[in-house]
Amino acid sequence: MNTDKHGFKALLLRHETILVLLLISEVIYFNAFGRRFGTADNVTNIVRHSVEIGLLALVMTPIILTGGIDLSVGSILGLCAVLFGKLWRDAGLDPWLAGVCTLGIGGLCGGFNALLITRLGLPPLIVTLGTFSLFRGLAEAITQGVDAFTNFPESCLVHGTGQLAGQPTQAWILLAAAKGVWLLVQRTTFGRSFRAIGFAPEGARYAGLPVQRRLAMAYVLAGVVAAVAALTYTARFGTAKADAGTGYELFAITAVVLGGTSIFGGIGSVQGTLLGVASVAVLSNGLTRVPGLMNIASELSGMLTGALLLLALASGLLPKMLADWRARRHSSSQSAQPKLT
Amino acid sequence: MKNLASLLTVIALALVVGCGKSDSTGGPAGGSGGKKITIALMPKSKGNAYFVSCKEGADAAARELGVELIFDGPTTPDPAKQNEIIENWITLGVDVIAAACENKEGISTALRKAQQQGIKVITYDSDAVTDARSFFVNQATPEGIGYGLMDEAARLCAEDGEFAIITASLTAANMNEWQKHIEARRASKYPKMKMVALRPCDDLKDKAQAEATTLLSANPNLKLIMAICSPAVPGAAEAVKQAGKAGKVSVIGLGLPSENKKYVKEGVTQSVILWKTTDLGALTVRAAHAVATGTLKAGDKTFKAGTLGEFEIQGDNILLGKPFLFNKDNIEQFNF
Amino acid sequence: MKRYFRELSVAAALGVMLLLLAVFAPNFFEPQPLLSRLTAAAPKLVLACGVALVIIARQIDISIGSLFAVCGTCAGLVAAAKLPWPVAMLAAVVVGALGGALNGVLVAGLRLPSIVVTLATMVTMREALRLKQQGVFINLPDGAQWFGLPMTAGQFTVCGVAFGLLVLMAFAVKHLSAGRFVYAVGSDAEAARLAGIRPQLTTFLVFVLMGAFTGLAAVLNMVQSPQVDPNSGRGLELEAIAAAVVGGVAVSGGRGRLWGVLAGLLLLVCIGPALTYVGVKPYWEKAIQGAIILLAVVADGLRSWKGVNHG
Repeated sequence: MNTDKHGFKALLLRHETILVLLLISEVIYFNAFGRRFGTADNVTNIVRHSVEIGLLALVMTPIILTGGIDLSVGSILGLCAVLFGKLWRDAGLDPWLAGVCTLGIGGLCGGFNALLITRLGLPPLIVTLGTFSLFRGLAEAITQGVDAFTNFPESCLVHGTGQLAGQPTQAWILLAAAKGVWLLVQRTTFGRSFRAIGFAPEGARYAGLPVQRRLAMAYVLAGVVAAVAALTYTARFGTAKADAGTGYELFAITAVVLGGTSIFGGIGSVQGTLLGVASVAVLSNGLTRVPGLMNIASELSGMLTGALLLLALASGLLPKMLADWRARRHSSSQSAQPKLT
Repeated sequence: MKNLASLLTVIALALVVGCGKSDSTGGPAGGSGGKKITIALMPKSKGNAYFVSCKEGADAAARELGVELIFDGPTTPDPAKQNEIIENWITLGVDVIAAACENKEGISTALRKAQQQGIKVITYDSDAVTDARSFFVNQATPEGIGYGLMDEAARLCAEDGEFAIITASLTAANMNEWQKHIEARRASKYPKMKMVALRPCDDLKDKAQAEATTLLSANPNLKLIMAICSPAVPGAAEAVKQAGKAGKVSVIGLGLPSENKKYVKEGVTQSVILWKTTDLGALTVRAAHAVATGTLKAGDKTFKAGTLGEFEIQGDNILLGKPFLFNKDNIEQFNF
Repeated sequence: MKRYFRELSVAAALGVMLLLLAVFAPNFFEPQPLLSRLTAAAPKLVLACGVALVIIARQIDISIGSLFAVCGTCAGLVAAAKLPWPVAMLAAVVVGALGGALNGVLVAGLRLPSIVVTLATMVTMREALRLKQQGVFINLPDGAQWFGLPMTAGQFTVCGVAFGLLVLMAFAVKHLSAGRFVYAVGSDAEAARLAGIRPQLTTFLVFVLMGAFTGLAAVLNMVQSPQVDPNSGRGLELEAIAAAVVGGVAVSGGRGRLWGVLAGLLLLVCIGPALTYVGVKPYWEKAIQGAIILLAVVADGLRSWKGVNHG
């Protein structure tokens, strides 16, 4: 068993090392070939632009660790953005109060997912596929597709566009969320149970873990954080519309998987997710600055991200496959015992 | 053992290593003088045949003027992504930004930032808020487009009858503006005409065809389909043709002549309204160049755009001209 | 009767909707538009059949929308080069099968999770196509539309092909051992392996088949109009998966019937037009679709909760 633990630890370590190397090589390449890549302004931009995806990816990590998935976070973002606007403009609430209410709404959306997934035992993929349509549909129905909430007071907008102690305001929010999720997942027993649930849900249940409750909290948390992302999005952008956050769930999943979290559950880390977010953000930013690639930057960044994702997946499994193959060769030369993996 | 702190240190190090190079201001790289002027042109979305044809004109103008042209935009109409790209361009230090705006207010925050950094900003095709740009290259005001469509619809229906609108998506800002003006025109001038339905087609020709089929059957008295998003025009036409109602139900819309030639010649589509997109692209680049070199200033009444000719300026709108009506008689001449 | 409860309940829901439409919007049943609508839904049926197999095999494929666009563009380019339509169809199916094979190799060969693999191929294919085609429509020559047949014959042909494929697949999964293998692999891959089935090969072939079906669906779509839109196919993967799920295919694998998929697809495809006929505003459509998917899934959950299991 010791060798296994070593193997897993080495695997984890290895994936993150690869990511760090990837990140560093991206930075070096774009610094050399890109125009004005390494400026403080650009770094600020990279951070500012990755906050929403970063938040969603962070909160998706514990969910994927449990072996689940949440495809509805982008739609929750949209719904919360629209409701925030409605609460502020039509119900006349103070922006801060509206913001707090929005967090609650996000929690409710997450709670709805949690209810279906934990109480009824439905597969998360399909439940969140349904809520993906439902929440987005509600956002469209509320605004009739047309309504856009704008002209938020400056006090709101500063959270998206201003600086706090020299860094963009949202960076602090993202950092706080990162620290929070990291503490949750890696340090608290509460969070560590996620990995256990992902590895072996039945085993976790027999071990006395309140599996259903933990799972539910992961999805509720996802809803709340999606609401936070909705607020930073609205603040940065100055407008809240029903199509906010379209496609963000897939970016978030990409970042999480890139970061080494296994979609089957049980393996993964918050720092991996952060590295994943950083890699993709740096890539898409850097490509827009390389002369010759500038005009196809958006398409190329999509294609390269897809390729990177596949490489990340393959590289993560390669050591295991090698070990399997070696073990099979070893065992077949010894006896014909069937392997149980 | 990697923990969060050491990870953050690594990231910070990586970025600091990167930051070691170059300056930290984001102003223009070099306006006049030895260096080439950089114009950054942004479509509403890439992979959109309409903006591709604008780009052709823009490329030609850029070659003639000897400027560097960057063309980038979100791959789907995503206003937030537009802002991100503009903010990238600010730090890149381009000289002029020319943007077609998906969301008027949203993009203005980014454009204002650009202006603050000394980058000139103009808009084309869809405007931003007036204080966020110096000029708007206006191929047709939303009012002009809306009124033009409604007038043509009324002409074809003898000012009386039901019509339906197919739009791209319910959230598309420019389409919503056009609808507002269409409705205003209808209410004031053609009260006997009635809009019975509005359906989105997600900018997909096939979906537009399916929607049109349903509209035709659900509203048996329908006299006209107005397709205001360009893939919808051939889609609606095909639906009308397949339903056997060509000639009985008129089809008009905003679209590219190349996509609609067949239907116009067959008489299924009566008119396609657009403007010369290549000219729009070229004019935008020329205007951007002129704004960067100072040739075009606020308060000018006309703009001499080299080989393109002279254009009238109304306020801060550089007018391309009137929308062009493509119909059976003239559509053959156009290939975009 | 109990065995088919799930599929019958979907059919019942469809029946109720049709009944309501007959009362409130009888125009819905006008023959020519109905045929046109069914013809438009035919490619989706083909896709739903394919994706149902994928889901039964306990995988998922979200790249079919992008592959659809790629195959359609290939077929369009071949047809625009004045080559006869069988060549175009062959090109589309082959390209589709290749795309499916790529997914298959990664999922079955390298044991990578299908959701992420197909996410990656979805994005990569869509962007590569956008780069190449730039959204420009491909104009087809005369005679490419409807396979060169007159319109109504062409429409019946398209519907016939799709429906025929459904019948063929329904027969195959029940009576061919290859079909049973898919269910076996989806229920319990390890047990299947011990029983002598090769799960990896089965999974690979399911993806290849899905790809080929996508190519076929793209051709069935292409012949319905004289132009090919390279942006087509967006959102089709969700529609197909929703149709399968509503039709009773279980995401946990090993369960589902293709007839249910037909009922599920018809139900979902009718919502949009139903709203138009009744005069409801279009912005309710997505919410209603999401609600139906959830209802279907909840019904599944409640059923297994009560301990009633269907094979």
